[in-house]
Amino acid sequence: MSVSDKDPSQQKPVVELKGVEKRFGTFTALQRMDLTIREGEFFTLLGPSGCGKTTTLRLIAGFELPSDGQILIAGQDVSQVPAHLRPVHTVFQNYALFPHMSVLENVAFPLTVRRIGKAQRLERVRAALDLVQMGAFAGRKPSQLSGGQQQRVALARALVNEPRVLLLDEPLGALDLKLRKEMQAELKAMQRRLGITFVFVTHDQEEALSMSDRIALMKGGEIVQLDTPTGLYDRPVNAYVADFIGETNMIPARVIETDAETALVEAMGTRLRVSGTQGAAAGSDVQLAIRPERVCEDMAELENTAEGILADVEFIGTDLRMTYRMPDGSRVVMRRQNSGRAVPQPGETRRLGFRQDDLRLFSR
Amino acid sequence: MRRERREQLQTGLMLAPSLLLLGLFILLPLCVVFAYSFALRDPYGAVLPGFTFDNYKELVQGVYLRVLANSVSLAAWTTALCLLLGYPVAYFIAFKAGRAAPVLLLLLLIPFWVNFLIRISAWVVLLGRGGLINQGLVASGLIDEPIGMLGTVGATLVGMVYAFLPMAVFPIYAALTPIDRRLMEAGADLGAGPAETFARVTLPLSLPGVLAAALFVFVPSMGVFAIPVLLGGGKDIILGNLIVQLFLEFRNVPVGAAVSILLLGFSGLGILLYMRALRRVEAMK
Repeated sequence: MSVSDKDPSQQKPVVELKGVEKRFGTFTALQRMDLTIREGEFFTLLGPSGCGKTTTLRLIAGFELPSDGQILIAGQDVSQVPAHLRPVHTVFQNYALFPHMSVLENVAFPLTVRRIGKAQRLERVRAALDLVQMGAFAGRKPSQLSGGQQQRVALARALVNEPRVLLLDEPLGALDLKLRKEMQAELKAMQRRLGITFVFVTHDQEEALSMSDRIALMKGGEIVQLDTPTGLYDRPVNAYVADFIGETNMIPARVIETDAETALVEAMGTRLRVSGTQGAAAGSDVQLAIRPERVCEDMAELENTAEGILADVEFIGTDLRMTYRMPDGSRVVMRRQNSGRAVPQPGETRRLGFRQDDLRLFSR
Repeated sequence: MRRERREQLQTGLMLAPSLLLLGLFILLPLCVVFAYSFALRDPYGAVLPGFTFDNYKELVQGVYLRVLANSVSLAAWTTALCLLLGYPVAYFIAFKAGRAAPVLLLLLLIPFWVNFLIRISAWVVLLGRGGLINQGLVASGLIDEPIGMLGTVGATLVGMVYAFLPMAVFPIYAALTPIDRRLMEAGADLGAGPAETFARVTLPLSLPGVLAAALFVFVPSMGVFAIPVLLGGGKDIILGNLIVQLFLEFRNVPVGAAVSILLLGFSGLGILLYMRALRRVEAMK
């Protein structure tokens, strides 16, 4: 297997948005978006509701036409091409199975409208249904299926014609937690095996992190950060990203001095050294960000420490979630694995450690 | 136990007025007509008590069968035209009209506030030799002299479609509105063009409404008499004006009653067929 087979960053683009803008009346849903989705990658559009992620998907599907800009699929300009002529298929949020057709007829639909012969049609429908383990349900009506089963049928229907790109609009939103986790793993495995480009829309950051090759985090019709899951989590470009992805302590701080690589800030009643200045000037008010799981109790070889009073301990099974009140009044949440050691009691004063690489500065 | 009794009594009291009304003005007259259809008559038209099947036997004659065929044919044409014209209207109101939809539905209803005979008489004026349509056609140079439109089957059909079109639009509209738009998007997404998506998705899902529309147009169409008389000149006798003639002109109440019961039977048959078809369509879901 060559490098390019494994690394999506080496693949050629399959969906390209060039300066795409979408306006509904006076409302701008999407602002001059440039985006390249590569062949074979699992790409996720992530963001809160109203951020433009679904609009982006609908533009690629062809349900909406761009007010401005160009959309290319497999190198062809499809900006004005209607949905039924585009080589993409969609898995809808509510599945949108045809209620008057059986599972078999639903899955056969894309082949029927392409006038594919009956024998070949049946063969491909069977294969698609087997792929999602729904072969035994071919004769059922959608109304006789559970939500998870409908989901699988919708997936089979969208895959049966082997689209260049599969668009998924919050497909797991209606499933309960356990089933959702199962389907996440299954979807990811299926995408790897088939090698089809997936464009996945979700507001669930955990889902996005666990499944995607790359994620575009959106807000207000724009992409805030486009990165790999680890990049998004460990190197958020601003406070919005840090706050949206995972849990983050945001502590008010003031920059004392900066040098080439580090900054010295005053926060939590003490002074801390931070890697990277993020362009902050001495004297400016900033926010200091650190993930709860990166706060340490083990003090060895740590550059920065601060003392806090344990205010609250939350027991969440695998983890303990402890809230400390710091001398300056700010709160720091710390997460520690539930290792079976004694649970600390609220009221204790303890010393916390912060690695300078784990601290990040954001403008306020 | 006592509470249950009281609730039963309450329900009964609340239902009483409508039951009384239905019984007095629908069921009772119907029973009278039913009884009359087996009665005898004297030569001057008075109904005599008695029991005979002669009134029904008389109906099995060429003349009456022709009347029946005329009625079915007129009702069938009216139904077909109303569905063909009504479906696009309902589709437009349901999917394309947006916020104008309630206004358009109201506009469809407004003619009902005007008396039926007056509305049909308006068509007499419109279709007449000196009417607006002929004037317009002559003025535009399409024809040299007015065409005699009144008294033709065409004029009857115009009036029938005009009268019954809303009956077709409303049930189709009601069946179209709840259809999830995403099903149409799914059709397009999976490669079906607009026409194919309509044929494979939208139309099948709206079939219950189409069936209801057919029933709502066909059944009353079987019983009309004013429209064919006013616009069609009453040349082709249909069940409706046959009944009027038998009762008022020939004073043959028993045979008139028998024709009425026959018409009622046809309507009942229509409703039965509709229910069966509807069950079949619903079973598809």
